[in-house]
Formats: sequence, structure tokens, C-alpha cells
Amino acid sequence: MNEKEYIKDKSWLLVIEIIIYIIILLILLAFKVNKEATIAISLVYMIGIIIELLIDYYIKKAFYNSFKEKLEKLDQKYLITELLDEPSFLEGKILTNSLYEIDKSMIERINKYKSRTQDFKEYVELWIHEVKLPVSSLILMLHNRNPEQNKKLLEQLTRLDNYLEQILYYVRSENAENDYLIKEVSLSKVISNVALKNKDLLLEKKIDLIVSDISVSVLTDSKWLEFMINQVIDNSIKYCKKQRPYIKIVSKEENDKISLIIYDNGLGISTSDLPRIFEKTFTGNNGRKSSIKSTGMGLYLCKKLCNKLGHKIQVISEEGKYTKVIITIYKNNFYKFDDKED
Amino acid sequence: MQKIKIIEDDLSIASELKEMLENAGYIVGITEDFSNILDQLKKEKPNLILLDINLPKTNGEILLQQIRKEMNIPIIMVTSKNSEADEVLSMSYGADDYITKPYNPTILLLRIGAVLNRSNKTNEKKFYRDLEVIPQKGVLKKEQDEIILTKNEMIIFLYLLYNQHKIVTRDELMTDLWNNNEYINDNALTVNISRLRAKLKEIGYQDAIETRKGQGYILHE
Repeated sequence: MNEKEYIKDKSWLLVIEIIIYIIILLILLAFKVNKEATIAISLVYMIGIIIELLIDYYIKKAFYNSFKEKLEKLDQKYLITELLDEPSFLEGKILTNSLYEIDKSMIERINKYKSRTQDFKEYVELWIHEVKLPVSSLILMLHNRNPEQNKKLLEQLTRLDNYLEQILYYVRSENAENDYLIKEVSLSKVISNVALKNKDLLLEKKIDLIVSDISVSVLTDSKWLEFMINQVIDNSIKYCKKQRPYIKIVSKEENDKISLIIYDNGLGISTSDLPRIFEKTFTGNNGRKSSIKSTGMGLYLCKKLCNKLGHKIQVISEEGKYTKVIITIYKNNFYKFDDKED
Repeated sequence: MQKIKIIEDDLSIASELKEMLENAGYIVGITEDFSNILDQLKKEKPNLILLDINLPKTNGEILLQQIRKEMNIPIIMVTSKNSEADEVLSMSYGADDYITKPYNPTILLLRIGAVLNRSNKTNEKKFYRDLEVIPQKGVLKKEQDEIILTKNEMIIFLYLLYNQHKIVTRDELMTDLWNNNEYINDNALTVNISRLRAKLKEIGYQDAIETRKGQGYILHE
């Protein structure tokens, strides 16, 4: 707020004051008041108006300018009500009170939706755990009744379980509260779990798994990391080459970080698809060509979970030659967490 | 014979699990009444407990604490709750292992075997006929003779030895190898078995490992 704006805003008041002044002049003229008295009265009248306007201007200027300044600095604009000083004038009071009311009702509404989504997430998580029971039961049944002939059924069940894991981690990654627990985790144990999970498919497709240098421990949530590596391996299996396919897993320790490198000599990713692979539901050329349809969720979830855990994920590839996924885990990542809600 | 108690409220899983464990040579009890499990355990004295977390009338984690206070039976938690927090909590309450559903049945058997071996006297000498097996050194010993096995050959031999009463499938051997971070392929398994055979023959045990076509292998008594 500056002088010009203020005067423009008060122009109607000035017009009225001028009209009143003219009327006063006419009255004084009619009563034949002498010149000196007329001038004196005029001066008092004008000075009065100027003082009035000046006081009003400075009070309002102080309030509104600080209001605007604070609002600009705020990232979450609705928090402005927490920063305002109680104004001394009526309009200001009305404004701040209204803001309080508006904020309150908005927050109530948001909380309602929040608790609804929370309920929904809890239900989905519960549901996933429930569905895992019949899946476990089916796997045991297949095992008890001639497992060699039931490989195809088992494969489908494994697929089903993988989809269940995806939604479970989707829900977990969407959770505002952090659902993970970071502790020292043996990398070789995580890899071993993933390897065992994919053993049948790897052997069936004759993909060699070459694992070396992974006897380190990293700071992470083992279940989350297991899920991520499983997604990567799942892709490597899906998009493997026919001739002498292999997957190589290696870890590399640097000063403040440990990189886990998962390399396959599979179909690779085209340069046009590469920048988009972490996008939600993005299925590139490979995903559409493959016999098993890609959901486009695997790498998206990996990226999201990595962000939450403070890890980094990176994919390097050359079409028709190889794909290399690098997951970087920092040794002390307390300050690298990305708590941004997106 | 080792006794295993299954504390699981999903009847279908419990009965399939029972069948699987019985096939593997264990005596198995399942739980029908979940109100006084502690008393049942005291009466039955199992060698190992498979414990679910979501149970009627009680919770597996609480039950685990109660059992730990009074008994020293190995416990494996078997649950669909697969968060790190649940696992850490269970392990801190004294569980011996934590397995999430759905699990690979062969792996469950391996883990059960591992927990039972750990709780039994581990420094007891292992023998195959008059051959002493020393897994730590990777050696089979007969009086003065010694043959050295590779890590893979030892894993295979031990698995056959522990499962002498039944036919061992290639898949089981493969699972055990992979479980020990040896990610070998089918050809390598075949090579490893024939090398193991050759080494056994060298020390005088010809045809100790018999191949049952289409089924697997068996180590003769």
C-alpha cells in the first residue's frame, strides 16, 4: 500500500469533503462572516481532514504491508493466521477473524479427507494381508501335490504375489507417516531372499545369476530394499535375451556410500524411453512388446521408496545390449531424507 | 522324531502345513483352541513352534513373550505381516526366525531344520556310515583318509545326509544351495553331484548316491 493507492481508494471521501467545504463556504458567505474568520475556519477544517487521513493511512499501511510481506514469505499460505498481530481497527479485525474461520473450516475438511484416506489405506493393507493367506495356502497345496507338475500354477501364484507386493508398497509409499525402519542390514541376506524368490524363473529361463562382493551391511529397511531389488530383477527376467542371458549383482563401496549394481545383458531400454522409466504407469517399447504385460509401476515405486529412504536409484542402458541399475545407499543419510509430500 | 506345534488360525494353511511337515518326517500338532495355548504347550512339549501373529483371542507377539518367560522352545514366527518393525519386535521378544507369508515351502523346511540344528547340540559329531563329516573344514574323514569337498559338494552331501529317509528332489538341493548364496544353475548342480559321487567312490562308497529317475536322489544308509 502506498500514498497514491490510498488516496485513490479514499477519493469518494475527498469528494464529499470538498462538497461539504463548499457548502460551509456558502453558509459562511450567507452569514457575511469576515474574511479572516473564514480563512481560520477553512484551515482548521483542512488540517483536521489531513490529520485524520494521515493517522488512518499509517495504521493501515503498517498492518497491510506486514500482512503482505508475511504472506509472500510463507510456503504454506494458510499459516498466515499464526503470524498476524491483532489489528487495532475494525476492518482488520473482521479480516483476521474471517481468516481464522476460513482456515479452521478448511483444516476440518482436510482432516476429514485425511482420515478417510487413512482408513482406506488401512483397509487395503489389511486386505492384502488377508489375500496372502489363500495364496500361501495354494502354494502349500501345490507343494504337497506333486510340485514338478505344478510349476506353471506356481508361476502364476508368484505373479499374483508380486502384484500384491506392488500395491502394498504403493500404499506404504503414499503414507504420510513413515512406515519404514532403518537399521544395519546385511546386503547378502537381502539378495539371497530376492534370489530365492526368483529361483524357479531364473532356472527355467536359464538365466545365470552372478553375485559377488556383497558381504557388506547397509543402513536401510531390509523389506523395502528387498522389494526394490525384486522389482529390478523382475524386469531383468522379463526382458532377458534368448542367448546366454545373465544377471550380475555387485556392490561397490565408496567414501560415504555403497552402490548396489544390478547388471543384465538383456534387451535394454531405448534412449527415447530412458528418461521416462520412473514415471507412474509408463510402459516403454519393451513393456508393450513383452508377452507379460508391464504395469509401469515397478520402477516408479522403486524411485519413490528410494526418495523416502534417502537412497538414490539410477538406470543406465543401451538398447539391445544391457541395462544397469544402480541403487546408492548412503552410510549416514539422516540429513538426506526427502520428506516432501508429492 | 521331532515334534512341531503349529499355532495358526487359518485352517487350510494349518492342515496343508501339517501334511507338508509330516511328509518331511516331523510329528505335527495343530491348534484348535486358542484360549489356553500355554497349558497345551506345557503338556505337549514340542521341539519347535510355528507361530502366527494374527490369532483369535490373542496376538502372536504377546504369546511369544509369554512362552519365552516360561519355556525355552525354539519359535519361528510365520506371518503375513511383512514390515521391518514387526520382524524387529518379534526377534527382540526372542523369536528364533521370522518368515513371511507366502513362503517357499522348501525354504520353510530349511529354516526349520536350521533352527532345530541350532537348538540341538551342534558339536555332536556327524557320521555317514563310518565316515565322519566335518562341515566346518569341508572334510569327510575315514580313519586316516580325508577327502576335501567344495562348499557346494558339502551343502549337497549334508542335505542328502539329513534327509536320508526320503527322496531328495533337485529342487530341494537347488534351494539349499541358493539359500547358502551359491547361485548355481542346473548344469552346475549335475556336475557337482557327479563330482561328489566320484569323491565318495574314491574313498570306497560306490553308488552311495542313487538317482531315482524323474524324482531325485537318495543317499543309501
